[in-house]
Amino acid sequence: MFRTSVWMLRASVVSAYLILASLPFIYALRRLAYVTGHSPFEALMRFDEVYGGAEALTYTLLEASVSALLTVLIGLPIAWCLGRYEWKNARILRALFSVPFVMPAIVAAMGFLLLTNSESGLFQIGIDLRTETGVIGDLARLTGWDHPGHFIALVFAHAWFNLSLMIRFVEPTLARLNPAWEEQLSLLGQGKNRFDRLRHLWWPVLGPAVLCAASLSFLFSFTSFALVKWLSPFNNTLESLMATYGGSAGIEDYRVDTSEIVMSASMVQFLILLFALYMTSTMQQRHSTRFSLVSEGNAKSQRGPPRMGAKIIVYAGVVFAMAPLFTALFASFKVRKGNFSSGFAYDWSLDGWRAAWSGDLATMGIGDALANSLLYALCTLCVALPTGWFLASTIHALEVEKRFKTAKALDVLTLLPLAVSAVMVGLGVLLGVLRLMPELFQWSYLPVVPHVILTTPFVVRVMLPAMRSVEPKWIEQAQVLNLNRYQTWYHGHFSFVRGPAVVASSLTLAFSLGEFGASWLLVRAGSWDTLSVVVDQLMSRPKFDPLVQPAAMAAATVLMAITFLLFFVAERFRHEGEGGGF
Amino acid sequence: MKTAFWLVLIVLMGAPLAGCLEQTSASEECVVLPAGHADDGVLRILTYDITALSDALTDEFTNNTGIEVEMIKVDDAGGILDQMMLTKEAQQADLMIGLDNTYLPTAIANCLLQAHDASAENISDSALDFYDGPLALPFDQGDVCLNFDEDALSEANISAPTSLEQLTGEEWKGKVAFPSPVTSSPGRAFLVASVEYFDQQGDGDPMAWWEDMVDNEAIITTGWTEAYETHYTGGYGEYTEGYIGDAWMTVSYCHSPGVEAFYAENYTHSTSLVLDHASFHQIEYAGIINGAAQIDGANQFMEFLLSSEVNINMPENNLMYSVIEGADLPETNGYRYHADLPSAVTTMTYEEIEANMDIWLDAWKSATKQA
Repeated sequence: MFRTSVWMLRASVVSAYLILASLPFIYALRRLAYVTGHSPFEALMRFDEVYGGAEALTYTLLEASVSALLTVLIGLPIAWCLGRYEWKNARILRALFSVPFVMPAIVAAMGFLLLTNSESGLFQIGIDLRTETGVIGDLARLTGWDHPGHFIALVFAHAWFNLSLMIRFVEPTLARLNPAWEEQLSLLGQGKNRFDRLRHLWWPVLGPAVLCAASLSFLFSFTSFALVKWLSPFNNTLESLMATYGGSAGIEDYRVDTSEIVMSASMVQFLILLFALYMTSTMQQRHSTRFSLVSEGNAKSQRGPPRMGAKIIVYAGVVFAMAPLFTALFASFKVRKGNFSSGFAYDWSLDGWRAAWSGDLATMGIGDALANSLLYALCTLCVALPTGWFLASTIHALEVEKRFKTAKALDVLTLLPLAVSAVMVGLGVLLGVLRLMPELFQWSYLPVVPHVILTTPFVVRVMLPAMRSVEPKWIEQAQVLNLNRYQTWYHGHFSFVRGPAVVASSLTLAFSLGEFGASWLLVRAGSWDTLSVVVDQLMSRPKFDPLVQPAAMAAATVLMAITFLLFFVAERFRHEGEGGGF
Repeated sequence: MKTAFWLVLIVLMGAPLAGCLEQTSASEECVVLPAGHADDGVLRILTYDITALSDALTDEFTNNTGIEVEMIKVDDAGGILDQMMLTKEAQQADLMIGLDNTYLPTAIANCLLQAHDASAENISDSALDFYDGPLALPFDQGDVCLNFDEDALSEANISAPTSLEQLTGEEWKGKVAFPSPVTSSPGRAFLVASVEYFDQQGDGDPMAWWEDMVDNEAIITTGWTEAYETHYTGGYGEYTEGYIGDAWMTVSYCHSPGVEAFYAENYTHSTSLVLDHASFHQIEYAGIINGAAQIDGANQFMEFLLSSEVNINMPENNLMYSVIEGADLPETNGYRYHADLPSAVTTMTYEEIEANMDIWLDAWKSATKQA
């Protein structure tokens, strides 16, 4: 009876989430099909006729592939060093490496623009990625490559953004790998030299985790919009193409060309990302079931404190992770001076912070915006965490019952919101709400809906490996102790997934704070504005007034500080050996 | 997995067949629609990032009238039109503020506005020239024209052009940035100006000129911000992040150099290119949305926005000219001194723009091979 009720509850939660997650896309597709007169399949076939579509697809595939590769090249050594040795401040380091992933893209873009401007260290040593003079200009001339500097800045920004994926996937496996494996292999013929050990130990152990992180990096770089818009202004990705022309998509007898662009591009993007998500899911399953692991503290204590080389790699990684954020902090105090006829002139002052706090330059001050952000983040957490938990436990229960195909299908379906263009979801939410319940637009908590849709897949991604690693015998042992059903669940199951649940919670809060969805809402009332929306508002307005840019940076700094605090707290709650979070 | 993959595809591919064709066509005649949302006493304003609509201004309105105000913000003027079109079945805002005279005819033709009661008594004739009907009132204005960097020209030993045709010359290769008329309202305004400019020449073909400009590596951006901040060398962009500075000329307002000077203690090296019929008198409007719930509040806000006390401050609060009769730019920091006045602006009428805008946009897209 209890078992049936649990399955019914699971089925209800799964159905509700899947309907909520897929309806916007279906509504948007229906409207675009009606406006253009083409079925989605026809739109797919007509992709090469869409203006700018082929160029955008080529550029998207190129930048996403290079970004994923660069993420591996930068992230893997850091994860290796972090996972192999006993670090005194491991929690702080992990929190620092996590911050970029949840930064609003607009903040990241500003940070990278500051790092590549004419006053930056890179510029001083002759690497001019922005105006492409010097070495970069020569590279462009010699190779005929248009705007190589912008491409390099973009892929590094993507690698920065996705750095924590590599660390979160690879570091826990390394940290908890039984050192006996390595010792045993080095005694065998198959592990005599580095190449052999790489082939017979490290690749089988780390390969799935690396590929999983790489495929997710590919996915996030593929759907990147703000970074592309700011760092690579001469090129479009599929997402930026849709965002540019998507505003008028779906309107009958008006700018039908934009509907065609959005429909074709979104179908191509959907299929490519569906494939990437399938790969991610497959890799993650291999990653989480392949090896038995030991406690993190035990493994690390056998390897000792970090060597100098490891310290250099990790601290250089910290500098890379923090540099764009610190430049944004400094920029919040830097106010353009009145008369600059004699060249650059700036004042260092708190005027930007005052302007940001007062809200004179945006729809609201940062205090009110932060209150809204926190409120929405908490509401999102209250819905996304149990929903994600239920979805993960349903997938795991299906796996336990050996219904692998259904489990896999559900696993991929939970990732679908990540494969759908924000433009499509925005249009779909608008059309869906208009048709089903227009009064929802006056409901203050509407922004929570897209936040839940997008954060739930991350909760699933964090909880599922944790649930897979819980041994059934732990529940049996708890049952032997004559505990009641809830106590058994708490001691035999929950206590083992509490750490990942804390990590999932902090990720959910951070994603919600960093927006991830509010901009989907095409009808967005000012009173709903969050901190990341205020940053975007400030960055988008004309900056004749010298206070606009420092005010935007001040708002971004508050957002960064809150995000760092969240991850730092989450790391304190996560016990050693409880996994990295994905 | 195969099953799941095909299941997802079938559901999504088949979705459009599930009864989507019940949507109705736009009505030919305009009728006042019932409210698209419940009247909860809050006035909802659909607008873009208009700096004049600050918290202080809306608070003052609320204190005077007791009506609360909520802003629904979109990216730009085109976004206002898109939003009204998309939510036609159930409008979520009561008042729109920000459609300009290149978009207004389309909004009116699509029955997106309804008559207001606000008074146009103190509005100047120049602001009412384009549209003087019952569906919208102007609240600010300015002339869109080309701006250029005096220092860059002087350094390159080039004189200011005396015709648009000169911009197709070698010395201007890759040095002019245009916001796209498809995605930007100043871009759209300049497209209209270019059409009239070549029309005035008699045998000129504006689209051939645009084609030549693209061949001369003109930079086309999605919006004014990218053109002015990222590419233009003459403005404040060089002090902002992301600056590239590869264009000596761009589209902005004839009074933009005045705004530059206002914020930089009477200093600017930007000036406007005042060629006859190469500038467009842009007027921005406020109007009550067809399907509004707070009609009384919307009327009161229009009166408030057009009151002398509020509207006279448009140059400082919104960086545009006021529409109040006799109002001018302030002289502070050389605002008025550096703001140029075109001698002959476009004379395109409401009817011409309504009839031709889509044709011009299509022709522009073909000429420049832009989406």
